[in-house]
Amino acid sequence: MAGMSPSEKRLQKELMSLMKEPPPGVSVDAEIAEQNLLLWIIRMEGVSGTLYEGEQFELQFKFSNKYPFDSPEVTFVGNNIPVHPHVYSNGHICLSILTDDWSPALSVQSVCLSIVSMLSSCKEKKRPPDNAFYVKTCNKNPKKTKWWYHDDSV
Amino acid sequence: MSGITENTKTSGEPSKENPSPNSSDTPDDEKKDDRMFECNICLDTAKDAVVSMCGHLFCWPCLHQWLETRPNRQVCPVCKASISKEKVVPLYGRGSTKQEDPREKVPPRPAGQRTEPEPGSAFPGFGFADNGFHMSFGIGAFPFGFFTSTFNFGEARPTPAARGTQQHMEEQFLSKIFLWMAILFVAWLLLA
Repeated sequence: MAGMSPSEKRLQKELMSLMKEPPPGVSVDAEIAEQNLLLWIIRMEGVSGTLYEGEQFELQFKFSNKYPFDSPEVTFVGNNIPVHPHVYSNGHICLSILTDDWSPALSVQSVCLSIVSMLSSCKEKKRPPDNAFYVKTCNKNPKKTKWWYHDDSV
Repeated sequence: MSGITENTKTSGEPSKENPSPNSSDTPDDEKKDDRMFECNICLDTAKDAVVSMCGHLFCWPCLHQWLETRPNRQVCPVCKASISKEKVVPLYGRGSTKQEDPREKVPPRPAGQRTEPEPGSAFPGFGFADNGFHMSFGIGAFPFGFFTSTFNFGEARPTPAARGTQQHMEEQFLSKIFLWMAILFVAWLLLA
């Protein structure tokens, strides 16, 4: 643990606990994370009994060296991006805890649980209404987007 | 003796699961006990520990960095209760040799601050929106001084006195004098 920056230290702790006690349906690709602690890939299963039952998703977490004071950059990656009113087809997620409502007491695990719950409460699989325009015009980094959080029902 | 020390340490955090800290015999329980004193930010055992009024434990350097990150929205990272430097309590365990307030360390505690009250509306004194004509005049580099003294943004002006009162008459008289002085001054500038 010596020689690690505070953010790496905390990420190492989080990685250990996520590998040891992962929440149901969530698993971390330990190999990728151990190579570079600032880039994680998390696999996520659609919860049974919801619209995403049987589906597999991949989340990418990118951390800055200001983590946990600065929120991680979280996007869906891979070939299956969930069709959801708050998930754009490029993988960007409209979720307040990823920007404005981030707190250093949150963790990779709590972000994963929020995303699982966001998917599970979905009633109709559809893309956000401004998907085509957003995907064409947005920055690669979703944290650069000025998100407008208006719908807390899903 | 040790029971007293333990109780002092736990006073900040509710300890429902372990009413008596001395009863933790298994390694698992011990681990749980350790985790109870972890900082909510760095997840390490809290150093220079402070506890918020809402009961959440942090290292002072960690909490300080968070308060600096969002200076105008200082909330508890755990429960989002309002939080401030002045309202956290330092914790002194038995092990700490120096009983100094951790808040004094990182950085030296700043002096008190006061914030100005916010103006009621965005542009209360914009243009001549308030009833009554205001004339102001300043001497400076000719064109610039004239403009800067006429356009006052964001600063509220006192309301003019009611029509017909003594003060109103005086104000009218004064503003006429100033108007004539301004005209004479401009004329002098143009002729000279």
